[in-house]
Amino acid sequence: MSPMVKIGIVIVVLLVLLGQPAFVINEAEQGLILQFGKPIRIIQEPGIYLKYPFIQDLIVFDKRILVADARPAEYITLDKKRLTVDTVSRWKISQPLEFYQTVRDYRGAVSRLNDTIFARLREAIANHTFISFIREERENIMNRVAEETAIPAKQFGITLVDVRIKRVDLPEEVQNSVFARMRAERERIAKRYRAEGEEKGREIRANANKEKEIILAEAYRKAEVLKGDGDAEATTIYAEAYGKNREFFSFLRHMDVYQKIFGEDTTVLLRPNSPLMEYLDTPFVGETSVRKVLR
Amino acid sequence: MDQFRPRNDDHPVREIQKGVEDLKALFEGFFRGRGLWIVILIVIILYLLSGFYIVQPGERGVVLLFGKLNAITEPGLRYRLPRPFMDAITVDVANVRRAEIGFRSDGARTRNVPQEALMLTGDENIVDVQLIVQYVVNDPMKFLFGSDNPESALKASAEVALRGVVGENTIDFTMTSGRMEVQKKVEIYLQKLLDTYNTGILVVQARLLAVDPPAQVQEAFHDVVRAWEDRERLIKEADGYREDVIPKARGMAQQEIREAEAYKAQRVIRARGDAARFDVLRQEYEKAPEVTRTRLYLESVERFLPNTRKFIMEGGDSRVLPLLPLTNLGNGPKQQPSSEESPSSQMKGKQ
Repeated sequence: MSPMVKIGIVIVVLLVLLGQPAFVINEAEQGLILQFGKPIRIIQEPGIYLKYPFIQDLIVFDKRILVADARPAEYITLDKKRLTVDTVSRWKISQPLEFYQTVRDYRGAVSRLNDTIFARLREAIANHTFISFIREERENIMNRVAEETAIPAKQFGITLVDVRIKRVDLPEEVQNSVFARMRAERERIAKRYRAEGEEKGREIRANANKEKEIILAEAYRKAEVLKGDGDAEATTIYAEAYGKNREFFSFLRHMDVYQKIFGEDTTVLLRPNSPLMEYLDTPFVGETSVRKVLR
Repeated sequence: MDQFRPRNDDHPVREIQKGVEDLKALFEGFFRGRGLWIVILIVIILYLLSGFYIVQPGERGVVLLFGKLNAITEPGLRYRLPRPFMDAITVDVANVRRAEIGFRSDGARTRNVPQEALMLTGDENIVDVQLIVQYVVNDPMKFLFGSDNPESALKASAEVALRGVVGENTIDFTMTSGRMEVQKKVEIYLQKLLDTYNTGILVVQARLLAVDPPAQVQEAFHDVVRAWEDRERLIKEADGYREDVIPKARGMAQQEIREAEAYKAQRVIRARGDAARFDVLRQEYEKAPEVTRTRLYLESVERFLPNTRKFIMEGGDSRVLPLLPLTNLGNGPKQQPSSEESPSSQMKGKQ
């Protein structure tokens, strides 16, 4: 074997030996170095580091924000309603040493965290009614659960970022009663709309009728005034004309009335001495005066 | 076995050995000279060339030196030291990505995902919501190293935000007037969560695609829409009635007033006519009252007496009267009906 090949082999071996103690911690990682199982060094800055081969071990942890997605669990509210709540928490490993000593790894941390969150959330939900939990207190409850969970989490070397409620669902049978209530609610609204239509419709019709009556009455009033005016004016004209000779008017009018009131069903008893019969008995000139004398 | 016979007389094994030795000599000659150095040089050059990388348009390169952030590079052909010294990761920062909540689009079709879509509202109703979130990576460093799986964090956070906001409001608000507001709130809430989680994601838009009642109650909701239409119809019908009645009434009113005006005018004009006639007659009468009076009297009598049944009796003797069968006289002469209505009746006007 040539010396060149030998040199090459030596270089490779050296690289491997040097490479063994050198290691890289990147931006997403942090490390813990154990010497015979005893933690001696924490590395949280990214970069290249050295360790003794064989006697020292490196454990790498995530430095990013991690997620613990709990399985949906059932809770009971103050007003005894059952709810299925799905929470998700986010956290990061801030103290790799404590983390390693208490929960060991990611899975251990998730199960410890979820246990704590479950217990705290159970208490919090049990203190609230269903509607206040859904509507007003959701944010507050989440914050409080997060605060209460953060304290034990710290002992695990964990910094809790937050706890969020992902889903809140009702159990199946409750869901059906919600649907029934929703239907009833919609039916109520539908009825109201129809009744309102009826209401407004009747109102409009009644107003129209009212307006119509007013218009007609007003017209009647105007008409009567006009007719009265006409009658009055006519009366004035008649009075003025007839007033010039009352006696003649009376005569003419009587003649007129006679003509109107005498008909076929009228029986007239005429006395022979009435002025109409004047010439019946005395057709000759002078007789009249004689009769007058006899009388 | 003829074909396996060697072409010359030399032993075949010896031939192979000779060939191998020749090759060995060649290699040894090569490596003894500059050959080895050339190989080493080529290997080193190839190794160094592996440091080139391309940042595509719309991407950023995150360059790490021993795992530590060294630089963020713009699009183009870039160089870094080869591994294990340096590394570069490219991240697409221009592409608008989308996440779907409550449904999954599969080509042209979409599929509802009820466990994501159904959620409780603030008034204890259940609503079916579909949300689409459009986002970009605005901080490649955080996107890579801030959070574990930022895109799944985005999806989970979108659900948190959506359910949180929907839970604060009533079903009617979310479905109708408050839709835009809900959308905006979800966007803000989601962005806040994403910032807290160091995801390096910027929400471009959170858009509510559908806010519907769940299938189980859809019919009742549709009926509300129909009821509203009924309401409008009833009102319109009543309006129609009004449009019909009022003008007619106005017409009738006008008619009555005009008739009254006509009556008035007619009365006055007729009165004037009657007055004028009377006046003329009177003047003539006053010239010769006796004669005129007798004439008028007789004319009048002549006109009305023919139609009547007449008895001529002695004056003053009223004792005869009870014997007259007055009631039976009705079926008397009818030869002259009422056609005798004289046009020259004196006072027709006053009627």
